[in-house]
Amino acid sequence: MSTLKGKELRIVGFLCNWCSYGGADTAGVARATQPTDLRIIRVPCSGRIDPLFILRALFNGADGVLVSGCHPNDCHYSEGNFYARRRLEVLKQFLPVLGIDDRRFEYTWVSASEGQRWKEVVTTFTERIHALGPAPVLEDAQALFRVADMTLSPLHALGTGIQAPLEELKSAIKSRLPELDCVLGWQQGHDAIHSVPLFMRSPEDVDKLVWGPLNVNNLAVYLPSLKGKKTGIVVKGCDSRSVVELLQENLIKRDDVVIFSMPCEGTLDMARVMQKLGSYKTISQTDSDDKGITVTTDTGKHRFDMSLWAQGKCYGCATPGALLADVRLGTLHPVTPAPTTPPELAMLDAMSLEERRSFWKAQMDRCLRCYACRNACPMCVCRDYCVSDSRDPHWMTQDDSANEKLFFQTIHAMHLAGRCTGCGECQRACPVGIPILALRQHIARAVGTLFDGYQAGIQPKATPPLLGFEVQEKNIHEREWK
Amino acid sequence: MRIGVFICHCGSNIGGTVDCAQVAHDAQSLPEVVYAINLMYSCAEPGQAAIEEAIKEYQLTGVVVASCSPRMHEPTFRRTVERAGLNRYMFEMANIREHVSWIGKDKEANTNKANELVAMAVEKLRRNRPLHAQSFDVNKRVLVIGGGVAGIQAALDCADGNIPVVLVEREATIGGKMAKLDKTFPTVDCSACILGPKMVDVAQHPNITLHAFSEIESISGYVGNFTVTIRKKSTYVDWTKCTGCGACTEKCPNKKTPDAFNEFTGPTTAISIAFPQAIPKRAVINPDYCRQLQKGKCGVCAKICPTGAIKYEMEDEVITEEVGAIVAATGYDLMDWTVYQEYGGGRYPDVITSLQYERLLSASGPTGGHVKRPSDGREPKNVVFIQCVGSRDKSIGRPYCSGFCCMYTAKQAVLTKEHIPDAQSFVFYMDIRASGKLYDEFIRRTIEEYGTEYIRGRVSKIYPDGKGSYTVCGVDTLMGKAITVSADLVVLAVGIEGSKDASKLAEKLRISYDKYGFFMESHPKLKPVQTNTAGVFLAGVCQGTKDIPSSVSQGSAAASKVLTLFSADKLQNDPQISAVDIKRCVGCGKCVQTCPFGAIQLTEIRGQEKAQVIDTVCQGCGLCSSTCPQGAIQLAHSTDNQILAEVHALCQR
Repeated sequence: MSTLKGKELRIVGFLCNWCSYGGADTAGVARATQPTDLRIIRVPCSGRIDPLFILRALFNGADGVLVSGCHPNDCHYSEGNFYARRRLEVLKQFLPVLGIDDRRFEYTWVSASEGQRWKEVVTTFTERIHALGPAPVLEDAQALFRVADMTLSPLHALGTGIQAPLEELKSAIKSRLPELDCVLGWQQGHDAIHSVPLFMRSPEDVDKLVWGPLNVNNLAVYLPSLKGKKTGIVVKGCDSRSVVELLQENLIKRDDVVIFSMPCEGTLDMARVMQKLGSYKTISQTDSDDKGITVTTDTGKHRFDMSLWAQGKCYGCATPGALLADVRLGTLHPVTPAPTTPPELAMLDAMSLEERRSFWKAQMDRCLRCYACRNACPMCVCRDYCVSDSRDPHWMTQDDSANEKLFFQTIHAMHLAGRCTGCGECQRACPVGIPILALRQHIARAVGTLFDGYQAGIQPKATPPLLGFEVQEKNIHEREWK
Repeated sequence: MRIGVFICHCGSNIGGTVDCAQVAHDAQSLPEVVYAINLMYSCAEPGQAAIEEAIKEYQLTGVVVASCSPRMHEPTFRRTVERAGLNRYMFEMANIREHVSWIGKDKEANTNKANELVAMAVEKLRRNRPLHAQSFDVNKRVLVIGGGVAGIQAALDCADGNIPVVLVEREATIGGKMAKLDKTFPTVDCSACILGPKMVDVAQHPNITLHAFSEIESISGYVGNFTVTIRKKSTYVDWTKCTGCGACTEKCPNKKTPDAFNEFTGPTTAISIAFPQAIPKRAVINPDYCRQLQKGKCGVCAKICPTGAIKYEMEDEVITEEVGAIVAATGYDLMDWTVYQEYGGGRYPDVITSLQYERLLSASGPTGGHVKRPSDGREPKNVVFIQCVGSRDKSIGRPYCSGFCCMYTAKQAVLTKEHIPDAQSFVFYMDIRASGKLYDEFIRRTIEEYGTEYIRGRVSKIYPDGKGSYTVCGVDTLMGKAITVSADLVVLAVGIEGSKDASKLAEKLRISYDKYGFFMESHPKLKPVQTNTAGVFLAGVCQGTKDIPSSVSQGSAAASKVLTLFSADKLQNDPQISAVDIKRCVGCGKCVQTCPFGAIQLTEIRGQEKAQVIDTVCQGCGLCSSTCPQGAIQLAHSTDNQILAEVHALCQR
């Protein structure tokens, strides 16, 4: 539907049936004249509003979206608006990283008796949207290519783990193997600079196990599909957070999993490594020392110091060992956590909204829609019913546009809000190297700020913040409507 | 699907600012729409008949009506399509009155907006499926909250209708504000004489369980099956033993306890019975003033009590009641009039509220019905009444009329003359609102037979004149001049607001309330005693200002709604509830964790944990749908696909 040219902008409202829709009716009954732009979608409760509806409207060209529900404590369903408040606030904080002005989205509370307040809300919001003008179109953005600065200093010394007790690990696994269906680990891949997941079912399999900075895969991704089977898993610190989060969400059972912890000294950023190696045919030799790896190929000798070539997440890592383990091997040097901003997120933080749109336009034009990001994500459990493939519900279309591809990334990021442990597998798996982890990191940072520094995958018993609420939220405050 | 679209003019309500014919014409090109027409009044009988005929003639399988708010007529039109043989849920509404024609004057913009709302409704309807209600048991007991005259009437009517009633009263006695009144307008009959017998009926009725001195702690459940916990506050007297003989109140040494029942016009004892006709007539100890409870020394009442009812160690008790419906009748309180500094802000002892004056007039009051000034006990000769203190005053944020003050002020002027024949009353008023039966006649008698002087104007200042009286400065707007009156006593007709803590109760009942603490009815005209929470009804002033006849009528009206609800052996659920697609469900239990009603449980299906909705418990909020990332649990008629279709209808690049 087209808006009235020159008169109206496209503003969508989601109103709960009991309070705000009634408040809008009350305003009508009082003949409270309002701007005509707003179109109201009636939903039973503000808790029914999946933030993705709001994103869908914005990605489809809405110039503004307004959500209104019952005042806190007044929810017809007791608690719906408390959950909504958390989700909508997270959404509001998420929008800017996409290059969307967060003033285009607002949520508020209007009761069925507050016709006058409803008029004020509609008038104020409509005026705000008119002041902002029509929403910019992602497809029209000028492509902007920019790469994050990877000169970083790590929280703990990064290394290759050559001192790690690999043989002890192997014998530990062998001793537990009879009671387990399978143990997940890593083996060498198609050449000496790649490792791939290893599914150990026999002692011979265990002998193939390798350890080192090439073990990039987060094996927790396989656990939900093995739910109900006794499974062992070798974890790095970051992988263990995924295991904890899966436990928090009842996606796996603690009794079914045996966790083997190895002290991680960092993993290589394979995208940069492969770029440096270029198109080689054979690898004749790899040499590891404490500090890094030297790779000799038919094109020459290449040195990869861990301090320079690790994955972005490793520099800010404060959990080199597993947070939860049944079998712990090796010794860990304690790491003092410090607030760090991941490199890609720091890059986006420094951009204007317009630059971010241009950045995502450029990056999403490169996206192949292969969904490797989704497949690698340990927290993605929709499987065959992923919105990327399923047209029921009709969240996405086949449209091959940057807009639609970025929308998929926002769905993934919102589905991970308060759940993402920052393992970075989405970004590592991306064959074209789009820094999509930054979107998840941005939400995780917002969740941490809003909910007392909450981090996903730390405490197996903790309730993820978007599955709970506080009657009085400490850090969420209603905005003024004057 | 074959969709029919009906655009309502609602006379000129919609037709005046929306081109309805154009909207109907444009609707014809919407997908699956086979018929579209504009009607003058679609909710009237000819309009509904036209819809029924069109359904038959064009073999419609779904209907969209664009008219008023669905909160108004959705049930009406659902019945219409049902009569024509469709499932009642194959219907959608577009609100082009409250949300379009009544709020915008630009016809082009309104017509365009109406078009879009119709397109949205069509897109939603295309994804509707026939739904069928399920039956569930109803617990035929009712909870009445508040034992004022409205709550008493509701309780008695329900009880007479053979429904067990649980009546909860916050104070130690039922009777509410009416029990504090001396006489009632316009008949000037004794309040206690007409209310007393009703109170006794409550006490004696076999179907009524009375919990006085009790408050609602929590309410859970839904229509037909509410669970209510009630806090029975400690009275320090075992009411099963207390006979209400009053021996304790005579002997209690602390005779300076503030008396809330008498509006603090005189003291009472630390152990007291509110008034002679109290129901239940039982003693209560005020722990803040009881010497035994404060200092551990006294125990006089325990010694004197012939039945040994005094229990200093008594604690609050929380009990649980199961009911199928709830009537809220929590009444009102006076607003805090001390914001009016021009009336002394509470500093002058002889400037009192109308309710305090009632107690001074009452034979059961602290002065035994002799009107005496609180300051010196002298009988007043000049009494000034000021109306609209905290009513119709935007400057203090009270824009509404409290409804009954004009009438009781006239009554109090009459009573003043009857108590003190040589007294002169002056009434400062803004307008006289006397619209009830025999009301205006009563005002005339007050003026003509009782010589009350009515002065149209506001009072600007009251101050002590130094000779024991007060000077009241005001303006007579009819004469157009300033006026001063010497007053021995000033009575303020203080405006009312919802009862203290009404908002907290509303939150427990899950009903709306306004900023003055009045509860929100379902519809101001057509559903005045219903609320938006099924099974919760309103009676009396808790819903808005009312006099006694209106409160009693509403008590009966609420009771009739309860009896109607309970006339069926089973209730039908709203089938717009959630359902789980077990193929998608991964059994994570996020929906179970967030459901506010405990309506979802995990069950094992073919060896795997899956969520399952308990149909009759689900209230259809849809929180589960937005919680489940897999889209495995969908709320019927508010599915992801339906909301997305509405979004797509509005926003398409």
